[in-house]
Amino acid sequence: MLIFDQLRKNDRQLQVLAISVLSGLGLLLLGLWYVQVLSAKRYQTSQINQSFRTVRIPAIRGKIFDANGVALAENRPCYNVNLYLDELRPYFRSAYSNNLSWVMRQLTRTNSKARLTHNQRIELGKLTRYQVVSNLVYRVSSLLHQPVPLQDTKFLEHYDQRLFIPMPVLTNLNPTQIALFAEQSADLPGFDLEVQPVRVYPHHAAAGHLLGHLQRDDSAADEDVFFNYRMPDFRGVVGIEGAFDEQLRGRNGVKSVLVDSLGYRQSENVWAPAEAGQSVYLTIDIAIQQAAEKALHSAPVPYAGPVRGAVVVMDPRNGDLIAMASNPAYDPNDFAVRLTQERAEAAKLDDPILRPQINRAMQENYAPGSIFKIVVGLAGLEAGTLDPNEVYHSPGFYVIARGHKPIDDLAGPGDFNFRRALVKSSNSYFIHEGLKLGVDRIAEMGKRFHFGERTGILPRQEAPGILPTREWREKNLGGAWFDGNTANLSIGQEIDVTPLQVAVMISAVANGGTVYWPRLVARTEPQDPFSADQAVKFPAGRVHGELGISKNSLNAVRGAMLADVEDAEGTGTRAFVPGMRICAKTGTAQIQQGRKTIGHTTWIASFAPFDNARYVVVVMIEDGTSGGATSAPVAQQVYLALQKRESQPKPTKPESLVKN
Amino acid sequence: MFEIHLSGRQSRVDWGMILAIFGLMIIGVAFIYSAKPPSETTAWYNQFPVRQSMWYLMGAAAAVGICLIDYHSLARWSMVAYWMAILLLIAVLLPHVGAYRLGAWRWIDLGFFQLQPSEFAKLAFIFIQAHFLSRPTEELRQPTVFVKAVGLTVLPFLLILKEPDLGSALVLLPVGLVMTYVAGVPTRFLRRLVSAAGVLVALLLVDILFAPPAWQIKLEDYQRRRLWVYFNRDFAADKSTEAERQKARLQERNDSWNVKQALISVGSGGFWGKGWRQGQQIALGYLPPIVAHNDFIFSVIAEEKGFLGSVLVLSLYTVVLFTGIRIAGQARDRLGKLLAVGVVTLLFSHVFINIGMNIRLMPVTGIPLPLLSYGGSSVLCSLIAAGILQNVYLYRRNY
Repeated sequence: MLIFDQLRKNDRQLQVLAISVLSGLGLLLLGLWYVQVLSAKRYQTSQINQSFRTVRIPAIRGKIFDANGVALAENRPCYNVNLYLDELRPYFRSAYSNNLSWVMRQLTRTNSKARLTHNQRIELGKLTRYQVVSNLVYRVSSLLHQPVPLQDTKFLEHYDQRLFIPMPVLTNLNPTQIALFAEQSADLPGFDLEVQPVRVYPHHAAAGHLLGHLQRDDSAADEDVFFNYRMPDFRGVVGIEGAFDEQLRGRNGVKSVLVDSLGYRQSENVWAPAEAGQSVYLTIDIAIQQAAEKALHSAPVPYAGPVRGAVVVMDPRNGDLIAMASNPAYDPNDFAVRLTQERAEAAKLDDPILRPQINRAMQENYAPGSIFKIVVGLAGLEAGTLDPNEVYHSPGFYVIARGHKPIDDLAGPGDFNFRRALVKSSNSYFIHEGLKLGVDRIAEMGKRFHFGERTGILPRQEAPGILPTREWREKNLGGAWFDGNTANLSIGQEIDVTPLQVAVMISAVANGGTVYWPRLVARTEPQDPFSADQAVKFPAGRVHGELGISKNSLNAVRGAMLADVEDAEGTGTRAFVPGMRICAKTGTAQIQQGRKTIGHTTWIASFAPFDNARYVVVVMIEDGTSGGATSAPVAQQVYLALQKRESQPKPTKPESLVKN
Repeated sequence: MFEIHLSGRQSRVDWGMILAIFGLMIIGVAFIYSAKPPSETTAWYNQFPVRQSMWYLMGAAAAVGICLIDYHSLARWSMVAYWMAILLLIAVLLPHVGAYRLGAWRWIDLGFFQLQPSEFAKLAFIFIQAHFLSRPTEELRQPTVFVKAVGLTVLPFLLILKEPDLGSALVLLPVGLVMTYVAGVPTRFLRRLVSAAGVLVALLLVDILFAPPAWQIKLEDYQRRRLWVYFNRDFAADKSTEAERQKARLQERNDSWNVKQALISVGSGGFWGKGWRQGQQIALGYLPPIVAHNDFIFSVIAEEKGFLGSVLVLSLYTVVLFTGIRIAGQARDRLGKLLAVGVVTLLFSHVFINIGMNIRLMPVTGIPLPLLSYGGSSVLCSLIAAGILQNVYLYRRNY
């Protein structure tokens, strides 16, 4: 080496020094190589970790539309005032130096050598920041004429933990406040107006049960990425919002915020923008839905307070639901922000009798009463045990065996053929026929209508009902099946159905024997036409099964149902609408507690028109007087609304225009 | 080769070293600019890079001035300089003379300039030691001479330790040791001294790291904690409550902050670096602004210029140091040789401790990086030291 050559050969000391210096420098070089080349990745990662915060941005939720493109659930902008603390740093600084000099003046008055300790300075800094922010918040509050509380603990928590995002000051400004803020906030440093979408249901409680509602969701269950902060997000819990949550929700975006060593925001960078959720198009017609709800609301019930019942309107040609109402209902808007205790109480959400959160059209089991006579009649006709023209003499009650309590028959004594028995709803006639058939054949016919099974319309929100058989009774109630049970089944007791199942059944009777899967959602479609997501269509008229019943049998039932509305002695005459040719069967099921009858579930199950059925209307009302008196007028109102809809020119629906 | 050595056309100063020093000064200004970007509220002449440049100019002038006088003449004043330095070191400890900053009495406030006597004491010490040791070899064999040489080292060492400035004090030890070694003091003396010192240091470390608090030697609290940080010791005592433990954790975080952030700066620079003024550690304040431009300037360079920048800096220092060793070899007498050796050892110790601290090879001590760190005293001394080397080189042939 150059230098070694020049050192005298015998100068050992300098050689030792040179070697020591060289090895020292070599050691540094190795150390630098290790840190800067071999471990560079590690340090780069820890630098990113300490200087970046990730923020999760929720996507804009998809909308929900009815069959005509009317929005049932959409998003409205909600204006919030936020405070960017990083922009206040100069104010913090000048206020701090003012405060510090004031404090020092006070201190040195008594003791000229007084100093503040490190911790006291930190404390003073904290107080100063709170003072600055609370003064500013006070100015905003007087500008907007609304008191804004600013708790010091809340502020400190935000300052310590979430300095990289703006601090929310006031949420949900009204239009006057927005205008005031926009005009006069120029000299207020650090404040900014933020727009956040808020779910809104423009028709309020209408179709509320179907739409469901949202719930604040800050869980990180579905993600494998860690976020330092999650912007408020909502999750659908029930109804369409719940069942189609994944589609409606879209994909969240990610924003990274560069922060300095004190945690102040330096810059922001959106790594992945949020992708708006898909819209869901329902088969529901909101006009009919509202008519059904109104009719249900004003049903002539023998009790005070809200009517408890349900209406299902279905297209028997394909199983599409046109309306599905349940009363009492709730307004899903109440849940959108955050359900307060008062609002929950005002809406009586937890009332044990009203139970407004239950969708009575599908979530609750009811005894069908006389409307099940349609099934018994069809079973008899198909089995050949029932001759429609044979006349049966009823004494006005039915005794199964000697010593048994006679079963009431509101149809009274008289001679009944099949048609008259169905029109007058003679219990004795159908018990007589049911006993001839036996439970197995009745249950078999019930199975063809898929009673006792969920229709699968919305997951986890549907009761399956109960279709009793010998095995079922043995397994669940632990007893043998007696004739008494068959007699009860023949008049629609001991069996549980939902109004939706009844609508499916009536549809099958009306359309000539096809049992459809009911359809509520027609399709989902991305909001953004350029989205990579595909629109998904749910085809109408998915067949669940065929009844395999002869035309004659069906015609016998349909004829009797027509007579039920149009004959003077029919039970469903109050459903009559001129020009609709409505066919119906009413039912009044007894609800018994022990041996006592404590109420009646009153039904009407109908379709129209007689020869070319387009509508099925099923009305169920809890604790009504009778099917004919309580439920039939509701059905009439619904048919009037349907008739009105037909007479109006159909809105030439440019869906793409209606959409937004 | 011999002919060239004797030829009169040989340059009178060593240009290689001057170029290397010039390179270091450019790097220094550039990265002080990066660490302390100009602020609008400060007058232009008070901006850090400008001030540093002025110190460079003054230092260069001082170095040229030093070169005008033969080092033999200078050495005659070494006794005066030494005791002046000792007086200043005592003065800095006096309440109305010394300035108290960052927990230590290290400065004398001269208004325009914060004089740091310990920096000048190092140079005075090199002079007196070289002067004292440039005596006949027979005398060097006497133990009393050796003891006196050690005494000359220990006096400023203790005074600087009292400030407290452990780093600067410790630097004196290798300088004194290497100078006595090169002077030709019998190695058995040195061996004994080094092993005694080694045992002492080992005992001290064991005491600080493992002994119960009552038995620990009285060290400045921050010094103890710096050693704890270096050896990764848990700050919380074994039997402490949760609150104490949390406090200790916070303390640990605060104390290890600079080291950790310096290491992240250096490491994240990678091979190529992020580019001049692109370092995030300074921009975001993770590397504390009060140390970034002086004690931790190397991590700024390493982050922005990467391993390549580090190698460049090391190479420039290598040029300076080995030129110094060569000058020592070419010196015409023992005084010149010892002066050169002392300066080389001083510069090397600074470089090694400072860069070592940035990559956690050494514990944190407030030792500036010669010519790169911001600071008047340090720059002046480094340039005067370089001037001494040139002086020895210049007057090598004046028999």
